Amino acid sequence: MARIGVFVCHCGENIAATVDCEKVAKACAQLPGVAYSIDYKYMCSDPGQNLIREAIKEKNLTGVVVAACSPRMHEPTFRRACAEAGLNPYLCEMANIREHCSWVHPKSEETTLKAIDIVKTIIAKVRKNQPLYPIKVPVTKTALVIGGGIAGIQAALDIANAGHRVILVEKEPSIGGHMAQLSETFPTLDCSQCILTPRMVEVAQHPSITLYTYAEVESLTGFIGNFVARIRKKAKSIDEKLCTGCGECVNACPIKKIPSEFNMGLGTRPAIYIPFPQAVPNKPVIDRSRCTYFRTGKCRFCESKCPTKAIRFDQNDEVINVQVGAVVVATGFTVLESTFFPEYGYGQYKDVVTGLQFERILSASGPTLGEVRRPSDGAIPKKVVFITCAGSRDPAKGIEYCSKICCMYTAKHAMLYKHKVHDGQAYVFYMDIRATGKGYDEFVRRAIEEDHVKYIRGRVSRVYERNGKIVVCGADTLLGAEPVEIEADMVVLATAGVANPGAEELAQALHISYDRHRFFTEAHPKLRPVETNTAGIFLAGACQSPKDIPESVGQASATASKVVALFSRDELTREPIVAVVNRCAPPLYSTCVGCFMCQTACPYSAIEREELRTRDGTLVKTVARVNPGLCQGCGTCVAFCRSKSIDLQGYSNEQMYAEVVELFAE
Amino acid sequence: MKQLHERAHELLEQKAVSVIIGYGEGTEGRVRPVFIRTLEAVRLLVWDDRCRVNLAVYLNKPEIRKFGFPIAVVSTPATVRTIVQLIAEHQLSIGDVVVLVRENDTVRALIQKEDLEQYARNNPVIFPPFVIEEIELLKKMSIEERFTYWQEELAKCFKCYACRAACPLCYCEKCITDVNQPQWVCVAPHPVGVFEWHINRAMHLAGRCIECGSCTIACPVGIPIALLTIEATRVVKEEFAFTPGIDCNAPSALSTFRVDDKETFIR
Repeated sequence: MARIGVFVCHCGENIAATVDCEKVAKACAQLPGVAYSIDYKYMCSDPGQNLIREAIKEKNLTGVVVAACSPRMHEPTFRRACAEAGLNPYLCEMANIREHCSWVHPKSEETTLKAIDIVKTIIAKVRKNQPLYPIKVPVTKTALVIGGGIAGIQAALDIANAGHRVILVEKEPSIGGHMAQLSETFPTLDCSQCILTPRMVEVAQHPSITLYTYAEVESLTGFIGNFVARIRKKAKSIDEKLCTGCGECVNACPIKKIPSEFNMGLGTRPAIYIPFPQAVPNKPVIDRSRCTYFRTGKCRFCESKCPTKAIRFDQNDEVINVQVGAVVVATGFTVLESTFFPEYGYGQYKDVVTGLQFERILSASGPTLGEVRRPSDGAIPKKVVFITCAGSRDPAKGIEYCSKICCMYTAKHAMLYKHKVHDGQAYVFYMDIRATGKGYDEFVRRAIEEDHVKYIRGRVSRVYERNGKIVVCGADTLLGAEPVEIEADMVVLATAGVANPGAEELAQALHISYDRHRFFTEAHPKLRPVETNTAGIFLAGACQSPKDIPESVGQASATASKVVALFSRDELTREPIVAVVNRCAPPLYSTCVGCFMCQTACPYSAIEREELRTRDGTLVKTVARVNPGLCQGCGTCVAFCRSKSIDLQGYSNEQMYAEVVELFAE
Repeated sequence: MKQLHERAHELLEQKAVSVIIGYGEGTEGRVRPVFIRTLEAVRLLVWDDRCRVNLAVYLNKPEIRKFGFPIAVVSTPATVRTIVQLIAEHQLSIGDVVVLVRENDTVRALIQKEDLEQYARNNPVIFPPFVIEEIELLKKMSIEERFTYWQEELAKCFKCYACRAACPLCYCEKCITDVNQPQWVCVAPHPVGVFEWHINRAMHLAGRCIECGSCTIACPVGIPIALLTIEATRVVKEEFAFTPGIDCNAPSALSTFRVDDKETFIR
């Protein structure tokens, strides 16, 4: 006979205000199998936990039910307390009478009766509980960092500096990401490349970092501590060992008019190219979709000019599998292009540019070498209008969120513009100014007060071209929504930061969740901001939501500390809440018939095939096997199994059934 | 018939198969399944318009499997689709079955994946017009009328499980109705127990049913239960563009999704 202890928590007033806890404890004491039942003000306090520990020893309990808050809060607390008293922790369960009862009902007799019902179901479950034992898995102490922007760079350096190996994968030919494209950074106006490039070089030179540029992660299998990543190293068409990065090939390439990705389409590049002068690695790649040789079979000018004979037209993509223990996803974001906006001319006006394009115009390494010249005719614009919230905070555009960085970089843009064009006038249309970082509001005030940027609170309804000018029609809502029309030379749209194309596919390959805007989702918005729901995979930077450099760097270092903490152990213990395929007596051996529907249903690729053989080695049948290292205990396979041959430990069919039936039992 | 006899003789003589599952003369002018193991028995095989029952069901029976693969089966289009589906569900492997089909008045033996799939695609299962009429009739009914219809029909069910035994895709060694710890499906043939069983059966066959109609033929009290699984499979076909029994490597429609699916609900 079971000897179950029931411990009813008042949670101060949280439960006791609407539930008669003493009555709950007394009612439960009458139930079959309950050996002890008591209520207490704070079960999670030390004296409360002591009550449990002592009762286990004195009453020789075989199971514990703590009727209190959600198991998400204190299940580990109470299971630990049980373990300390010598009871298998998985014989302890929580009945949630707070979130599921006291918080959502008024004080009444019925509320108390519902609390009793909830506790009764969990008692019924605990009667069927079996002792479970944690699963131990080894740890591969190498981290995979996906994305070589500032977040990825910081995470890689921090992990490597803690003494662990790092594999950094970047899909572009160079690391650096968006930060390399920026001119200056707010709120200090220090040169972005000047502070970034030393970090890029450090990555390249670090003995513990293996850098794969022009490479992409195709798939990730395995589980925390034991992932296998499949990485496709796209053919760069050069021998990197021979290439000295002299650039002769780049000069030789006859195709010169390809819009440069690094310059956001404002400049051009050849088919064989180094994206920007400080690129790491500073070696070219051939863009095969544009290269004349790959398109027509003739040309090879670059090959003829290469002094070290490093060009390799016959190079193939290389696919490698690497074993890693943790993954940091730092794939960043992108900005909406001006073509997204019908009201701003669908991208047909050359002088309506995005913020990122304007960064390139301001940058000394940009297409205008740092002079502010507009794209259409190269003239210096005397009136520039900046439009914030272009797409952001606009449910009609499907982007309800604030892109967070635009207020600040728009202030910076306007300020830098004024610094370069002294007689120019900058206007900023804004909804609200969100400048909530250290030194941020002061920065915006400086733009307004010292650099005389005209801030107009209101939205722009339309932008169109008239006689070589860009006419901006808006309203000033601080002047009673008075219409404003500005004949500008140039318009800069602070377009919304959005998830990268391919973010969804990557999330699916990594088995991590993402929100409806395709940003990757953290495990908890407050308390687990850099973890994903998949153990061992962490998030850094703007792939989670738009964020600025200090935040990305901070988050990257946070992921590094998580990875390092993970690598500080040689073995991991995992919760034994995993699915198992049953076994039974011959001739069945298992009721599994091996249809493997569970295999396709499993979101974690945890289902394998196992051959069941008799003692003399004859194959009986091939059945499913759940890899306990991979299984996350979601129970999808259990629901799919037609013959109910899979069961989830800790939440078995029998336990769930007992809970449900208890509700109807009188 | 002569061709079939020659082919069967050849297969057994060369020991290419352990047994031939076919149709033989039964009582009262009906055909019944025969299991031919010897050359002398080959003459028992008949093949005419009466031979419609799906013999693939015997491929799952341990009594037949113990003879060892390969096994030959005299097949209708539904039988071929069943075998393809059983391969897709890992219950059979390519080469386990020699599928004897009639094509342009000749007897062909299908073994390879491509041949099986091609035949399955080109020869859809054709059921009697009244089945389609019945489905259309049911669809026109209101939910209440339909529920009344099934209440009346299923009231006849006494849970003999002939439908389960006749269905070639009900191959679980332990059916969910036999699971008693816990007992998910009520075993008694009262209305709740009967509904629980038939709803489970329909759900378990959704997207898998070959529409051979064996269950309806087997039902001793004449409940048109195939309508449930036929319609469930049609819903799966409409929603997910998936037809069972034509692709030996098809994943199950209900446990997978395609990344390029135009529907967004799954994301």
